[in-house]
Amino acid sequence: MVKKIKNTILHIPVTVILIIIALVILLPILWMFLSAFKPQGKIISYPPTFLPLDYTLDNFIRLAKRVKIFYFIKNSVIYALMTTVPSVFLCSLAGYAFARYNFKGRNVLFILVLATLMIPFQVIMIPLFLIVSNLGMYDKYLGLVLPKIAVAISIFMMRSAFAGLPKELEEAGRIDGVTEIGLYWKIMLPQVKPTFVTMIVLGINGAWNDLMWPLLITGDMKMRTLSNGLAMFIGQDTQEYGPAFAGAFIAILPMLMLYLFGQRYFVEGTVTSGLKG
Amino acid sequence: MRMAMKKRFSMTFFPYAFIAPVIILLLVFNILPLLSAFVMSNFDITTSLGRPKFVGLANFTEIFADSRFWNSLLVTLKWTVVEVPLQVILALILAAILTENTLSNKTFRGVYFLPIICSATVTGIMWKLILHSNVGYVTYIFRLLGLGKINFMNSPGLTFFVIVFMSLWKAFGISTIIFVGAMQNVPKSLYEAAEMDSAGKLRQFFSVTVPGIAPTLWFIVMTRLINSFQVFDIVYTTTGGGPNFTTETLVTYIYTRAFEVYKMGYASAVSVCLFIIILIITVVLYSRMLVQERKN
Repeated sequence: MVKKIKNTILHIPVTVILIIIALVILLPILWMFLSAFKPQGKIISYPPTFLPLDYTLDNFIRLAKRVKIFYFIKNSVIYALMTTVPSVFLCSLAGYAFARYNFKGRNVLFILVLATLMIPFQVIMIPLFLIVSNLGMYDKYLGLVLPKIAVAISIFMMRSAFAGLPKELEEAGRIDGVTEIGLYWKIMLPQVKPTFVTMIVLGINGAWNDLMWPLLITGDMKMRTLSNGLAMFIGQDTQEYGPAFAGAFIAILPMLMLYLFGQRYFVEGTVTSGLKG
Repeated sequence: MRMAMKKRFSMTFFPYAFIAPVIILLLVFNILPLLSAFVMSNFDITTSLGRPKFVGLANFTEIFADSRFWNSLLVTLKWTVVEVPLQVILALILAAILTENTLSNKTFRGVYFLPIICSATVTGIMWKLILHSNVGYVTYIFRLLGLGKINFMNSPGLTFFVIVFMSLWKAFGISTIIFVGAMQNVPKSLYEAAEMDSAGKLRQFFSVTVPGIAPTLWFIVMTRLINSFQVFDIVYTTTGGGPNFTTETLVTYIYTRAFEVYKMGYASAVSVCLFIIILIITVVLYSRMLVQERKN
Protein backbone atom coordinates (compact mmCIF):
# COMPACT_ATOMS: atom_id res chain seq x y z
CA MET A 1 0.00 0.00 0.00
CA VAL A 2 2.71 2.42 1.01
CA LYS A 3 4.70 1.33 -2.02
CA LYS A 4 1.74 1.99 -4.29
CA ILE A 5 1.27 5.51 -2.96
CA LYS A 6 4.98 6.12 -3.32
CA ASN A 7 4.78 4.95 -6.91
CA THR A 8 1.93 7.26 -7.86
CA ILE A 9 3.58 10.22 -6.17
CA LEU A 10 6.70 9.50 -8.19
CA HIS A 11 4.64 8.88 -11.31
CA ILE A 12 3.19 12.40 -11.56
CA PRO A 13 6.43 14.41 -11.82
CA VAL A 14 7.84 11.84 -14.25
CA THR A 15 4.80 12.20 -16.50
CA VAL A 16 4.98 15.99 -16.24
CA ILE A 17 8.62 15.91 -17.36
CA LEU A 18 7.79 13.57 -20.23
CA ILE A 19 5.04 15.94 -21.37
CA ILE A 20 7.31 18.98 -21.12
CA ILE A 21 9.92 17.29 -23.31
CA ALA A 22 7.19 16.35 -25.78
CA LEU A 23 6.04 19.97 -25.88
CA VAL A 24 9.58 21.23 -26.49
CA ILE A 25 9.55 19.05 -29.59
CA LEU A 26 5.99 19.58 -30.80
CA LEU A 27 5.38 23.27 -30.15
CA PRO A 28 8.26 24.65 -32.27
CA ILE A 29 7.31 22.43 -35.21
CA LEU A 30 3.63 23.31 -34.90
CA TRP A 31 4.46 27.00 -34.55
CA MET A 32 6.61 26.87 -37.67
CA PHE A 33 3.84 25.14 -39.62
CA LEU A 34 1.34 27.82 -38.61
CA SER A 35 3.82 30.62 -39.23
CA ALA A 36 4.31 29.53 -42.82
CA PHE A 37 0.77 30.85 -43.39
CA LYS A 38 1.13 34.09 -41.44
CA PRO A 39 1.86 37.43 -43.08
CA GLN A 40 5.54 38.35 -42.70
CA GLY A 41 4.64 41.19 -40.31
CA LYS A 42 2.95 38.77 -37.89
CA ILE A 43 5.94 36.41 -37.83
CA ILE A 44 8.34 39.06 -36.59
CA SER A 45 5.85 40.97 -34.43
CA TYR A 46 6.37 41.47 -30.74
CA PRO A 47 4.94 39.91 -28.64
CA PRO A 48 5.03 36.74 -30.76
CA THR A 49 1.77 35.15 -31.86
CA PHE A 50 0.96 31.47 -32.01
CA LEU A 51 -2.28 31.19 -33.97
CA PRO A 52 -2.44 33.25 -37.14
CA LEU A 53 -5.59 35.34 -37.27
CA ASP A 54 -5.32 35.91 -40.99
CA TYR A 55 -4.03 33.19 -43.28
CA THR A 56 -2.10 33.85 -46.45
CA LEU A 57 -0.18 31.97 -49.11
CA ASP A 58 1.96 35.04 -49.64
CA ASN A 59 5.07 33.39 -48.14
CA PHE A 60 4.91 30.54 -50.64
CA ILE A 61 4.50 32.94 -53.57
CA ARG A 62 7.43 35.05 -52.40
CA LEU A 63 9.55 31.93 -51.90
CA ALA A 64 8.80 30.79 -55.46
CA LYS A 65 9.86 34.22 -56.72
CA ARG A 66 13.11 34.25 -54.77
CA VAL A 67 14.42 30.71 -55.36
CA LYS A 68 13.90 27.89 -57.86
CA ILE A 69 11.73 26.01 -55.39
CA PHE A 70 10.20 23.65 -57.95
CA TYR A 71 13.64 22.52 -59.06
CA PHE A 72 14.61 22.05 -55.40
CA ILE A 73 11.58 19.82 -54.83
CA LYS A 74 12.18 17.83 -58.00
CA ASN A 75 15.86 17.33 -57.14
CA SER A 76 15.10 16.28 -53.57
CA VAL A 77 12.62 13.70 -54.82
CA ILE A 78 15.12 12.40 -57.37
CA TYR A 79 17.98 12.32 -54.86
CA ALA A 80 15.90 10.58 -52.19
CA LEU A 81 14.41 7.92 -54.46
CA MET A 82 17.37 7.31 -56.74
CA THR A 83 19.69 6.68 -53.82
CA THR A 84 17.30 4.76 -51.57
CA VAL A 85 15.75 2.32 -54.04
CA PRO A 86 19.03 0.96 -55.50
CA SER A 87 20.62 1.19 -52.07
CA VAL A 88 18.13 -0.98 -50.18
CA PHE A 89 18.02 -3.41 -53.07
CA LEU A 90 21.79 -3.84 -53.45
CA CYS A 91 22.58 -3.66 -49.72
CA SER A 92 19.93 -6.24 -48.87
CA LEU A 93 21.26 -8.48 -51.65
CA ALA A 94 24.77 -8.22 -50.24
CA GLY A 95 23.54 -8.68 -46.67
CA TYR A 96 21.67 -11.77 -47.83
CA ALA A 97 24.78 -13.22 -49.47
CA PHE A 98 26.89 -12.55 -46.38
CA ALA A 99 24.29 -14.16 -44.12
CA ARG A 100 23.20 -17.20 -46.12
CA TYR A 101 26.06 -18.38 -48.34
CA ASN A 102 29.43 -19.92 -47.56
CA PHE A 103 31.96 -18.67 -50.04
CA LYS A 104 35.69 -18.11 -50.20
CA GLY A 105 36.76 -14.73 -48.89
CA ARG A 106 33.46 -14.08 -47.15
CA ASN A 107 35.01 -12.97 -43.88
CA VAL A 108 37.66 -10.81 -45.53
CA LEU A 109 35.06 -9.06 -47.67
CA PHE A 110 32.75 -8.57 -44.72
CA ILE A 111 35.58 -7.02 -42.70
CA LEU A 112 36.20 -4.71 -45.66
CA VAL A 113 32.56 -3.64 -45.49
CA LEU A 114 32.78 -3.11 -41.72
CA ALA A 115 35.99 -1.12 -42.16
CA THR A 116 34.19 1.38 -44.38
CA LEU A 117 31.81 1.88 -41.47
CA MET A 118 34.71 3.61 -39.75
CA ILE A 119 35.41 6.00 -42.63
CA PRO A 120 33.41 9.13 -41.93
CA PHE A 121 32.07 10.92 -44.97
CA GLN A 122 33.69 14.14 -43.78
CA VAL A 123 37.14 12.57 -44.02
CA ILE A 124 36.76 11.50 -47.63
CA MET A 125 34.61 14.32 -48.96
CA ILE A 126 37.42 16.27 -50.64
CA PRO A 127 38.89 13.37 -52.68
CA LEU A 128 35.38 12.11 -53.34
CA PHE A 129 34.45 15.50 -54.71
CA LEU A 130 37.52 15.47 -56.98
CA ILE A 131 36.96 11.87 -58.14
CA VAL A 132 33.29 12.43 -58.95
CA SER A 133 34.06 15.77 -60.64
CA ASN A 134 36.82 14.20 -62.74
CA LEU A 135 34.40 11.48 -63.83
CA GLY A 136 32.40 14.34 -65.36
CA MET A 137 29.58 13.97 -62.85
CA TYR A 138 29.67 17.42 -61.21
CA ASP A 139 26.17 18.90 -61.25
CA LYS A 140 24.81 15.60 -62.58
CA TYR A 141 22.25 13.34 -60.91
CA LEU A 142 24.57 10.37 -61.34
CA GLY A 143 27.29 12.11 -59.35
CA LEU A 144 24.81 13.02 -56.65
CA VAL A 145 23.47 9.50 -56.34
CA LEU A 146 26.22 6.99 -57.10
CA PRO A 147 28.48 7.47 -54.02
CA LYS A 148 25.48 7.16 -51.70
CA ILE A 149 24.24 3.73 -52.80
CA ALA A 150 26.56 1.32 -50.96
CA VAL A 151 26.03 1.90 -47.23
CA ALA A 152 27.93 -0.30 -44.79
CA ILE A 153 25.41 0.04 -41.96
CA SER A 154 22.56 -1.08 -44.24
CA ILE A 155 24.52 -4.14 -45.38
CA PHE A 156 25.26 -4.87 -41.73
CA MET A 157 21.62 -4.51 -40.65
CA MET A 158 20.34 -6.64 -43.50
CA ARG A 159 22.90 -9.34 -42.75
CA SER A 160 21.70 -9.47 -39.12
CA ALA A 161 18.09 -9.67 -40.25
CA PHE A 162 18.72 -12.48 -42.76
CA ALA A 163 20.99 -14.40 -40.36
CA GLY A 164 18.09 -14.94 -37.99
CA LEU A 165 15.95 -16.89 -40.48
CA PRO A 166 15.63 -20.71 -40.23
CA LYS A 167 17.65 -22.89 -42.59
CA GLU A 168 14.57 -24.94 -43.62
CA LEU A 169 13.16 -21.97 -45.48
CA GLU A 170 15.77 -21.94 -48.22
CA GLU A 171 16.21 -25.72 -48.28
CA ALA A 172 12.51 -26.17 -49.01
CA GLY A 173 12.77 -23.58 -51.75
CA ARG A 174 15.79 -25.23 -53.33
CA ILE A 175 14.04 -28.63 -53.36
CA ASP A 176 11.10 -26.99 -55.10
CA GLY A 177 13.54 -25.78 -57.77
CA VAL A 178 13.35 -22.06 -56.99
CA THR A 179 16.25 -20.13 -58.57
CA GLU A 180 18.77 -18.39 -56.29
CA ILE A 181 17.39 -14.98 -57.22
CA GLY A 182 13.84 -16.19 -56.71
CA LEU A 183 14.88 -17.55 -53.32
CA TYR A 184 16.09 -14.11 -52.24
CA TRP A 185 13.28 -12.12 -53.77
CA LYS A 186 10.23 -14.31 -53.19
CA ILE A 187 11.06 -16.29 -50.07
CA MET A 188 13.71 -14.60 -47.93
CA LEU A 189 13.11 -10.88 -48.49
CA PRO A 190 9.43 -10.95 -47.39
CA GLN A 191 10.62 -12.47 -44.09
CA VAL A 192 12.63 -9.37 -43.18
CA LYS A 193 10.01 -6.84 -44.22
CA PRO A 194 10.17 -4.70 -41.03
CA THR A 195 13.93 -4.18 -41.43
CA PHE A 196 13.50 -3.56 -45.15
CA VAL A 197 10.74 -0.99 -44.66
CA THR A 198 12.69 0.73 -41.88
CA MET A 199 15.68 0.99 -44.21
CA ILE A 200 13.56 2.49 -46.99
CA VAL A 201 11.96 5.05 -44.66
CA LEU A 202 15.23 6.04 -42.96
CA GLY A 203 17.02 6.04 -46.32
CA ILE A 204 14.55 8.40 -47.98
CA ASN A 205 14.52 10.61 -44.88
CA GLY A 206 18.33 10.65 -44.70
CA ALA A 207 18.81 11.58 -48.34
CA TRP A 208 16.02 14.16 -48.24
CA ASN A 209 17.67 15.88 -45.27
CA ASP A 210 21.27 15.36 -46.40
CA LEU A 211 23.07 18.67 -46.59
CA MET A 212 26.74 18.13 -47.23
CA TRP A 213 27.05 16.04 -50.37
CA PRO A 214 24.46 17.99 -52.42
CA LEU A 215 26.14 21.16 -51.18
CA LEU A 216 29.50 20.03 -52.56
CA ILE A 217 28.55 18.35 -55.80
CA THR A 218 25.98 20.81 -57.15
CA GLY A 219 26.63 24.38 -58.21
CA ASP A 220 23.80 25.24 -60.55
CA MET A 221 20.70 26.63 -58.83
CA LYS A 222 18.62 24.20 -60.87
CA MET A 223 20.51 21.24 -59.40
CA ARG A 224 20.14 22.11 -55.72
CA THR A 225 18.00 20.10 -53.33
CA LEU A 226 15.61 21.57 -50.76
CA SER A 227 18.04 21.04 -47.92
CA ASN A 228 21.01 22.89 -49.38
CA GLY A 229 18.99 25.32 -51.53
CA LEU A 230 17.11 26.57 -48.47
CA ALA A 231 20.28 26.62 -46.38
CA MET A 232 21.85 28.97 -48.94
CA PHE A 233 18.70 31.07 -49.08
CA ILE A 234 18.55 31.66 -45.33
CA GLY A 235 22.29 32.13 -45.25
CA GLN A 236 22.03 35.01 -47.70
CA ASP A 237 19.21 36.85 -46.06
CA THR A 238 18.02 36.01 -42.59
CA GLN A 239 15.33 38.67 -42.66
CA GLU A 240 13.11 36.67 -45.04
CA TYR A 241 11.49 34.56 -42.35
CA GLY A 242 8.13 34.15 -44.07
CA PRO A 243 9.51 32.50 -47.21
CA ALA A 244 12.03 30.54 -45.10
CA PHE A 245 9.17 29.05 -43.07
CA ALA A 246 7.24 28.30 -46.24
CA GLY A 247 10.31 26.44 -47.49
CA ALA A 248 10.67 24.59 -44.22
CA PHE A 249 6.99 23.61 -44.43
CA ILE A 250 7.55 22.18 -47.92
CA ALA A 251 10.66 20.35 -46.72
CA ILE A 252 9.00 18.78 -43.68
CA LEU A 253 5.54 17.83 -45.00
CA PRO A 254 6.51 14.80 -47.16
CA MET A 255 8.80 13.49 -44.42
CA LEU A 256 6.02 13.87 -41.86
CA MET A 257 3.74 11.73 -44.01
CA LEU A 258 6.49 9.17 -44.52
CA TYR A 259 7.12 9.18 -40.78
CA LEU A 260 3.48 8.56 -39.95
CA PHE A 261 3.47 5.67 -42.41
CA GLY A 262 6.67 4.10 -41.11
CA GLN A 263 6.64 4.94 -37.43
CA ARG A 264 4.90 1.75 -36.26
CA TYR A 265 7.93 -0.15 -37.51
CA PHE A 266 10.55 1.67 -35.47
CA VAL A 267 8.60 2.93 -32.48
CA GLU A 268 7.97 -0.67 -31.39
CA GLY A 269 11.70 -0.89 -30.86
CA THR A 270 12.07 -4.34 -32.37
CA VAL A 271 13.82 -3.39 -35.59
CA THR A 272 16.35 -0.99 -34.19
CA SER A 273 17.53 -3.59 -31.68
CA GLY A 274 19.25 -5.23 -34.66
CA LEU A 275 21.60 -2.24 -34.67
CA LYS A 276 23.44 -3.29 -31.55
CA GLY A 277 26.26 -5.08 -33.36
CA MET B 1 25.90 -35.49 -61.59
CA ARG B 2 25.09 -32.53 -63.81
CA MET B 3 22.60 -31.33 -61.26
CA ALA B 4 25.29 -31.38 -58.59
CA MET B 5 27.70 -29.49 -60.85
CA LYS B 6 25.06 -26.93 -61.64
CA LYS B 7 24.26 -26.55 -57.98
CA ARG B 8 27.89 -26.07 -57.05
CA PHE B 9 28.27 -23.47 -59.78
CA SER B 10 25.25 -21.52 -58.60
CA MET B 11 26.39 -21.70 -54.98
CA THR B 12 29.73 -20.09 -55.88
CA PHE B 13 28.56 -17.75 -58.62
CA PHE B 14 25.56 -16.13 -56.95
CA PRO B 15 27.07 -14.96 -53.65
CA TYR B 16 29.84 -13.15 -55.54
CA ALA B 17 27.34 -11.69 -58.00
CA PHE B 18 25.20 -10.53 -55.07
CA ILE B 19 27.97 -8.70 -53.25
CA ALA B 20 29.91 -7.45 -56.30
CA PRO B 21 27.92 -4.20 -56.84
CA VAL B 22 28.30 -2.91 -53.28
CA ILE B 23 31.94 -4.00 -53.02
CA ILE B 24 32.81 -2.16 -56.24
CA LEU B 25 30.91 0.94 -55.10
CA LEU B 26 32.59 0.86 -51.69
CA LEU B 27 36.02 0.48 -53.28
CA VAL B 28 35.51 3.39 -55.69
CA PHE B 29 33.62 5.78 -53.44
CA ASN B 30 34.99 4.93 -49.95
CA ILE B 31 38.33 3.12 -49.98
CA LEU B 32 39.84 4.97 -52.95
CA PRO B 33 38.93 8.42 -51.58
CA LEU B 34 40.38 7.47 -48.19
CA LEU B 35 43.70 6.46 -49.78
CA SER B 36 43.56 9.61 -51.92
CA ALA B 37 43.10 11.74 -48.81
CA PHE B 38 46.40 10.40 -47.45
CA VAL B 39 48.15 11.04 -50.76
CA MET B 40 46.59 14.50 -51.20
CA SER B 41 47.65 15.54 -47.73
CA ASN B 42 51.23 15.58 -49.06
CA PHE B 43 50.40 17.92 -51.92
CA ASP B 44 49.63 21.56 -52.38
CA ILE B 45 46.40 21.56 -54.35
CA THR B 46 44.83 24.96 -54.76
CA THR B 47 42.07 24.36 -57.30
CA SER B 48 40.55 21.22 -58.69
CA LEU B 49 42.17 21.94 -62.06
CA GLY B 50 45.59 23.29 -61.11
CA ARG B 51 48.68 21.07 -61.08
CA PRO B 52 49.28 19.58 -57.63
CA LYS B 53 52.69 20.25 -56.14
CA PHE B 54 54.36 17.72 -53.84
CA VAL B 55 55.21 19.29 -50.48
CA GLY B 56 55.80 16.22 -48.32
CA LEU B 57 54.74 16.71 -44.71
CA ALA B 58 54.75 20.50 -44.97
CA ASN B 59 50.96 20.61 -44.62
CA PHE B 60 51.21 18.82 -41.29
CA THR B 61 53.88 21.14 -39.92
CA GLU B 62 51.63 24.02 -40.98
CA ILE B 63 48.74 22.45 -39.10
CA PHE B 64 50.75 22.34 -35.88
CA ALA B 65 51.30 26.07 -36.07
CA ASP B 66 47.74 26.87 -37.17
CA SER B 67 45.85 28.38 -34.26
CA ARG B 68 42.53 28.09 -36.11
CA PHE B 69 43.07 24.34 -36.38
CA TRP B 70 43.73 24.04 -32.63
CA ASN B 71 40.71 26.18 -31.92
CA SER B 72 38.45 23.99 -34.07
CA LEU B 73 39.88 20.87 -32.41
CA LEU B 74 39.12 22.34 -28.97
CA VAL B 75 35.60 23.30 -30.02
CA THR B 76 35.07 19.75 -31.29
CA LEU B 77 36.44 18.21 -28.07
CA LYS B 78 34.17 20.51 -26.07
CA TRP B 79 31.25 19.29 -28.17
CA THR B 80 32.22 15.69 -27.42
CA VAL B 81 32.52 16.31 -23.69
CA VAL B 82 29.24 18.24 -23.44
CA GLU B 83 26.89 16.71 -26.00
CA VAL B 84 27.69 13.00 -25.87
CA PRO B 85 27.18 12.41 -22.12
CA LEU B 86 24.05 14.58 -22.08
CA GLN B 87 22.52 12.72 -24.97
CA VAL B 88 23.43 9.23 -23.76
CA ILE B 89 22.24 9.84 -20.19
CA LEU B 90 19.01 11.53 -21.28
CA ALA B 91 18.26 8.74 -23.75
CA LEU B 92 19.04 6.05 -21.16
CA ILE B 93 16.71 7.56 -18.57
CA LEU B 94 13.88 8.12 -21.05
CA ALA B 95 14.26 4.63 -22.50
CA ALA B 96 14.10 3.11 -19.01
CA ILE B 97 10.85 4.98 -18.34
CA LEU B 98 9.35 4.15 -21.75
CA THR B 99 10.42 0.51 -22.17
CA GLU B 100 6.99 -1.09 -21.91
CA ASN B 101 4.84 -1.09 -25.04
CA THR B 102 1.88 0.77 -23.58
CA LEU B 103 -0.04 3.23 -25.73
CA SER B 104 1.19 6.29 -23.85
CA ASN B 105 4.81 5.09 -23.96
CA LYS B 106 4.58 4.47 -27.68
CA THR B 107 3.12 7.94 -28.17
CA PHE B 108 5.97 9.57 -26.24
CA ARG B 109 8.50 7.54 -28.21
CA GLY B 110 6.85 8.57 -31.46
CA VAL B 111 7.02 12.23 -30.47
CA TYR B 112 10.65 12.05 -29.31
CA PHE B 113 11.67 10.43 -32.57
CA LEU B 114 9.84 13.08 -34.62
CA PRO B 115 12.72 15.62 -35.02
CA ILE B 116 14.40 13.10 -37.30
CA ILE B 117 12.18 14.51 -40.08
CA CYS B 118 13.66 17.99 -39.61
CA SER B 119 16.81 18.63 -41.62
CA ALA B 120 19.55 20.74 -40.08
CA THR B 121 18.33 23.52 -42.34
CA VAL B 122 14.79 23.35 -40.97
CA THR B 123 16.00 22.98 -37.37
CA GLY B 124 18.21 26.01 -37.88
CA ILE B 125 15.49 28.23 -39.36
CA MET B 126 13.07 27.26 -36.63
CA TRP B 127 15.23 27.70 -33.55
CA LYS B 128 16.89 30.85 -34.88
CA LEU B 129 13.55 32.65 -34.85
CA ILE B 130 12.33 31.09 -31.60
CA LEU B 131 15.53 32.32 -29.96
CA HIS B 132 15.53 35.62 -31.87
CA SER B 133 16.90 38.37 -29.63
CA ASN B 134 14.05 40.77 -30.45
CA VAL B 135 10.94 38.86 -31.42
CA GLY B 136 11.63 35.25 -30.35
CA TYR B 137 9.37 33.28 -28.03
CA VAL B 138 12.15 32.56 -25.58
CA THR B 139 13.06 36.24 -25.44
CA TYR B 140 9.39 36.99 -24.80
CA ILE B 141 9.20 34.48 -21.96
CA PHE B 142 12.45 35.80 -20.47
CA ARG B 143 11.00 39.30 -20.47
CA LEU B 144 7.78 38.13 -18.83
CA LEU B 145 9.95 36.61 -16.11
CA GLY B 146 11.72 39.93 -15.79
CA LEU B 147 15.00 38.65 -17.15
CA GLY B 148 17.20 40.59 -19.50
CA LYS B 149 17.58 40.26 -23.24
CA ILE B 150 19.96 37.53 -24.33
CA ASN B 151 21.49 37.32 -27.78
CA PHE B 152 21.48 33.53 -28.13
CA MET B 153 22.93 33.31 -31.61
CA ASN B 154 25.71 35.85 -31.18
CA SER B 155 27.30 35.55 -27.74
CA PRO B 156 30.75 33.93 -27.76
CA GLY B 157 30.31 32.05 -24.47
CA LEU B 158 26.71 30.99 -24.97
CA THR B 159 26.07 30.28 -28.65
CA PHE B 160 28.03 27.03 -28.53
CA PHE B 161 25.63 25.63 -25.94
CA VAL B 162 22.64 26.82 -27.95
CA ILE B 163 23.89 24.83 -30.94
CA VAL B 164 24.50 21.82 -28.69
CA PHE B 165 20.90 22.13 -27.53
CA MET B 166 19.63 22.14 -31.13
CA SER B 167 21.70 19.06 -31.89
CA LEU B 168 20.35 17.30 -28.78
CA TRP B 169 16.81 18.30 -29.69
CA LYS B 170 17.26 16.66 -33.08
CA ALA B 171 19.02 13.45 -32.06
CA PHE B 172 18.16 12.27 -28.53
CA GLY B 173 15.02 10.47 -29.74
CA ILE B 174 17.01 8.19 -32.02
CA SER B 175 19.24 7.02 -29.18
CA THR B 176 16.17 6.64 -26.97
CA ILE B 177 14.44 4.36 -29.47
CA ILE B 178 17.55 2.20 -29.92
CA PHE B 179 17.88 1.86 -26.13
CA VAL B 180 14.20 0.92 -25.84
CA GLY B 181 14.72 -1.86 -28.35
CA ALA B 182 17.64 -3.19 -26.34
CA MET B 183 15.88 -2.91 -22.98
CA GLN B 184 12.90 -4.87 -24.26
CA ASN B 185 15.27 -7.75 -24.92
CA VAL B 186 16.56 -7.92 -21.34
CA PRO B 187 14.99 -11.09 -19.88
CA LYS B 188 12.07 -10.40 -17.53
CA SER B 189 13.33 -13.10 -15.15
CA LEU B 190 16.34 -10.96 -14.24
CA TYR B 191 14.04 -8.19 -13.01
CA GLU B 192 11.94 -10.70 -11.09
CA ALA B 193 15.07 -12.05 -9.38
CA ALA B 194 16.09 -8.49 -8.48
CA GLU B 195 12.59 -7.87 -7.16
CA MET B 196 12.97 -10.93 -4.91
CA ASP B 197 16.16 -9.45 -3.52
CA SER B 198 14.00 -6.35 -2.88
CA ALA B 199 16.21 -4.20 -5.05
CA GLY B 200 14.67 -0.78 -5.75
CA LYS B 201 13.98 0.57 -9.22
CA LEU B 202 17.22 2.57 -9.23
CA ARG B 203 19.21 -0.46 -8.13
CA GLN B 204 17.54 -2.58 -10.82
CA PHE B 205 18.45 0.01 -13.43
CA PHE B 206 22.14 -0.11 -12.58
CA SER B 207 22.50 -3.82 -11.85
CA VAL B 208 20.09 -5.33 -14.38
CA THR B 209 19.26 -2.88 -17.17
CA VAL B 210 22.66 -1.32 -17.80
CA PRO B 211 24.61 -4.63 -17.91
CA GLY B 212 21.77 -6.16 -19.93
CA ILE B 213 22.10 -3.61 -22.70
CA ALA B 214 25.89 -3.28 -22.56
CA PRO B 215 26.52 -4.03 -26.27
CA THR B 216 23.95 -1.41 -27.32
CA LEU B 217 25.30 1.08 -24.81
CA TRP B 218 28.78 0.63 -26.27
CA PHE B 219 27.37 0.96 -29.77
CA ILE B 220 25.60 4.23 -28.95
CA VAL B 221 28.55 5.71 -27.06
CA MET B 222 30.87 4.78 -29.91
CA THR B 223 28.69 6.14 -32.73
CA ARG B 224 27.82 9.29 -30.76
CA LEU B 225 31.50 9.94 -30.02
CA ILE B 226 32.46 9.46 -33.64
CA ASN B 227 29.53 11.62 -34.76
CA SER B 228 30.60 14.39 -32.42
CA PHE B 229 33.81 14.66 -34.42
CA GLN B 230 31.80 15.10 -37.61
CA VAL B 231 29.56 17.99 -36.57
CA PHE B 232 28.95 20.26 -39.52
CA ASP B 233 25.32 20.60 -40.67
CA ILE B 234 23.83 22.35 -37.68
CA VAL B 235 26.78 24.75 -37.47
CA TYR B 236 26.62 25.52 -41.18
CA THR B 237 22.89 26.31 -41.07
CA THR B 238 23.01 28.45 -37.92
CA THR B 239 26.26 30.27 -37.16
CA GLY B 240 28.70 29.21 -39.86
CA GLY B 241 31.34 28.89 -37.13
CA GLY B 242 30.84 32.24 -35.43
CA PRO B 243 30.72 34.27 -33.33
CA ASN B 244 34.47 34.63 -33.17
CA PHE B 245 35.07 30.99 -34.27
CA THR B 246 33.54 29.73 -31.00
CA THR B 247 31.40 27.21 -32.88
CA GLU B 248 33.87 26.35 -35.63
CA THR B 249 34.26 22.57 -35.47
CA LEU B 250 36.95 20.53 -37.22
CA VAL B 251 34.71 19.65 -40.13
CA THR B 252 33.50 23.23 -40.50
CA TYR B 253 37.14 24.26 -40.68
CA ILE B 254 37.93 21.55 -43.26
CA TYR B 255 34.96 22.72 -45.32
CA THR B 256 36.03 26.35 -45.37
CA ARG B 257 39.65 25.41 -46.24
CA ALA B 258 38.62 23.09 -49.08
CA PHE B 259 35.56 24.71 -50.59
CA GLU B 260 35.79 28.39 -49.71
CA VAL B 261 39.50 29.15 -50.02
CA TYR B 262 40.27 26.04 -52.14
CA LYS B 263 43.29 24.84 -50.17
CA MET B 264 42.40 21.23 -50.89
CA GLY B 265 45.77 19.69 -50.04
CA TYR B 266 45.88 21.41 -46.69
CA ALA B 267 42.25 20.53 -45.97
CA SER B 268 43.05 16.90 -46.80
CA ALA B 269 45.83 16.97 -44.23
CA VAL B 270 43.34 18.19 -41.62
CA SER B 271 40.98 15.39 -42.76
CA VAL B 272 43.75 12.87 -42.20
CA CYS B 273 44.21 14.20 -38.65
CA LEU B 274 40.46 13.85 -38.12
CA PHE B 275 40.57 10.28 -39.41
CA ILE B 276 43.44 9.36 -37.09
CA ILE B 277 41.58 10.82 -34.09
CA ILE B 278 38.45 8.84 -34.96
CA LEU B 279 40.48 5.70 -35.56
CA ILE B 280 42.14 5.98 -32.13
CA ILE B 281 38.77 6.48 -30.42
CA THR B 282 37.29 3.51 -32.22
CA VAL B 283 40.20 1.20 -31.45
CA VAL B 284 40.43 2.23 -27.78
CA LEU B 285 36.69 1.89 -27.19
CA TYR B 286 36.42 -1.34 -29.10
CA SER B 287 39.23 -3.01 -27.16
CA ARG B 288 37.69 -1.71 -23.92
CA MET B 289 34.41 -3.26 -24.95
CA LEU B 290 36.05 -6.62 -25.67
CA VAL B 291 37.77 -6.58 -22.27
CA GLN B 292 34.43 -5.79 -20.62
CA GLU B 293 32.67 -8.58 -22.47
CA ARG B 294 35.30 -11.10 -21.49
CA LYS B 295 34.81 -10.15 -17.85
CA ASN B 296 31.07 -10.87 -17.97
